[in-house]
Amino acid sequence: MHPPPPPPSSTRTHTQSTFRILTTKLPILKSDPIDALHARLGIPIPEMIFGDNLLSLTHLPTNWSLSFSAEPALDLVDKTGSNGSMLRVAYANEWSATREKTSSGIKEVVKPFDWSYSTTYKGTEVKGKGGKCFEKNEREEIPLELLKRRDPILFHDEVVLYESELDDNGISALTVKVRVMEQRMLVLCRFFLRLDNVLVRVRDTRVYVDFEEEKVVREWMSREDKFENVKKNLYMSGLMPDAITVALRDSNQVANLLPVVEHEVESVSLKSG
Amino acid sequence: MPRLRYRPRPLPDIPPKQLTKANLASVDLDECIARLYKKELLAESVIEAICAKTKELLMRESNVVHVQAPITVVGDIHGQFYDLIEIFRIGGWCPDTNYLFLGDYVDRGMFSIETISLLVCLKLRYPDRIHLIRGNHESRGVTQSYGFYTECVRKYNSANIWHHFTDLFDYLTLSVVIDNRIFCVHGGPFSLVISFVASLSPSANSYLPNPGLSPSIHSIDQIKVIDRYREIPHEGPMADLVWSDPDPERDEFSLSPRGAGYTFGAQVVKKFLSVNNMEHILRAHQLCQEGYQTLFDDQLSTVWSAPNYCYRCGNMASVLEVDTDGSRFFNIFAAAPENDQVKDMQMADKMNPGGEPGALPDYFL
Repeated sequence: MHPPPPPPSSTRTHTQSTFRILTTKLPILKSDPIDALHARLGIPIPEMIFGDNLLSLTHLPTNWSLSFSAEPALDLVDKTGSNGSMLRVAYANEWSATREKTSSGIKEVVKPFDWSYSTTYKGTEVKGKGGKCFEKNEREEIPLELLKRRDPILFHDEVVLYESELDDNGISALTVKVRVMEQRMLVLCRFFLRLDNVLVRVRDTRVYVDFEEEKVVREWMSREDKFENVKKNLYMSGLMPDAITVALRDSNQVANLLPVVEHEVESVSLKSG
Repeated sequence: MPRLRYRPRPLPDIPPKQLTKANLASVDLDECIARLYKKELLAESVIEAICAKTKELLMRESNVVHVQAPITVVGDIHGQFYDLIEIFRIGGWCPDTNYLFLGDYVDRGMFSIETISLLVCLKLRYPDRIHLIRGNHESRGVTQSYGFYTECVRKYNSANIWHHFTDLFDYLTLSVVIDNRIFCVHGGPFSLVISFVASLSPSANSYLPNPGLSPSIHSIDQIKVIDRYREIPHEGPMADLVWSDPDPERDEFSLSPRGAGYTFGAQVVKKFLSVNNMEHILRAHQLCQEGYQTLFDDQLSTVWSAPNYCYRCGNMASVLEVDTDGSRFFNIFAAAPENDQVKDMQMADKMNPGGEPGALPDYFL
């Protein structure tokens, strides 16, 4: 007789050298927690809200940590629509023209906010012993060549934080994934927005850890382009129309086609002494 | 309060061939249904014939179909075929149980073709026992972005069956009324009220007490005059029926910050029910973790029937069983165990619905 296997735990941890990596994956929030989150943030919540999900990275000797979760990410969404970030769906003009007469009876207007849920979230940092934290360091870079090596992956996971279909006008999603090798690890937190016939936006936060040096590099890269340009570039790359449709759903296929609009590198050395 | 009422039932016996009533020259509908229950795909020519025949059937349906309880109402399925079979296991097989589906049969899940093929065959076989309403995903535009088109090309090596199905979608009805007291639609009925004013000719507008000022037409009869045999437009009454959402924080209509579309509030629901002498509005369209949601003092409910939506949300699902006395019961269920068999495929598929399953991108940069 074998006892039944334990239910799969929602939380996984892995310790590598002096760092501990933790991921939590749970169902989308129920309606009460959604209402509470809505009240705290003051904006409507995306329909797929993984409010209990988490990916965190802790340096055990100093307690420095960096974590990724939905609420602080949504907190950075423009909640007033005042900074010129307001996007409109492709057919908005057509829509308001036909409604001009009749919509005048509608007095209530939903408080404007960035309904594309574009965030500038780079993770939530907790300073380590001695106040150690990220500092700007434009000379630093993530060693891509070392990451391209097929070193065995000891731990990997992917955690969705939120996602919206924008009422069938595209997709907006924030996901974070991690892979840990013996000497180094990489975290990629990606915000992907495709607003059909308007624009494509990818905002990546990469976190690289060198276990021996106990050094963490965080790179932020924001890319975007007009939808028509992305489509044209996919076509120029030799894709057939059907493949372009598929590619437009896959941030990996479009990210590198988008011009970089913002780039920033920070690092922190956590080694004692 | 809803409670779990799980009543597993075996697959129905397939009647012998000679009993088949289908009029299709060479297509045996019961055999098609039996194959589809086993998740087998039908030949392209068979799909073509079935869609053509179903079109003729749907053409005769009004934009507002009247049905009688008892009936089981199903929300979004989104290609989650195993969960559709789970619904039949829990709620009873067709035609022993009457079904009303509120739309969004395709996109997102891995088995949109199997799902819509089965539902269309059942509709053709038992036209009075199963009713299919059009959802916002039953559209050429939306299915090109959210997976159904890609799945058609991948499984049939051409877009032909996508054309057959999307042409058929143009004929699906827009709303159903149960026993003259429950109004059923995919999104919401109300913005129709406003946009219908816009779609009237200027002369018709002058008949309104206060033309262009107030959304004053609330009658369900107005739905009947919509020309529905077309692609779902971005604006107008048809768009509103399949797209609008309730907003519990507001009383009236509110414009969306997106620049198109709006939400409806408590007063709108109340007025609509009172003008039409109805008790309840039943709709789908919105994901809810609990599988259902009731709003506005139980005047409106959302039923959601895709458990563990997109194979990653971890949500419950439900079907709503309406009894002859008008009572409503949410039968709640979780994802079918068969989903585990294709877990790996789903993992690979999840960020690329309908696409070619591939290996996980372990060495991401």
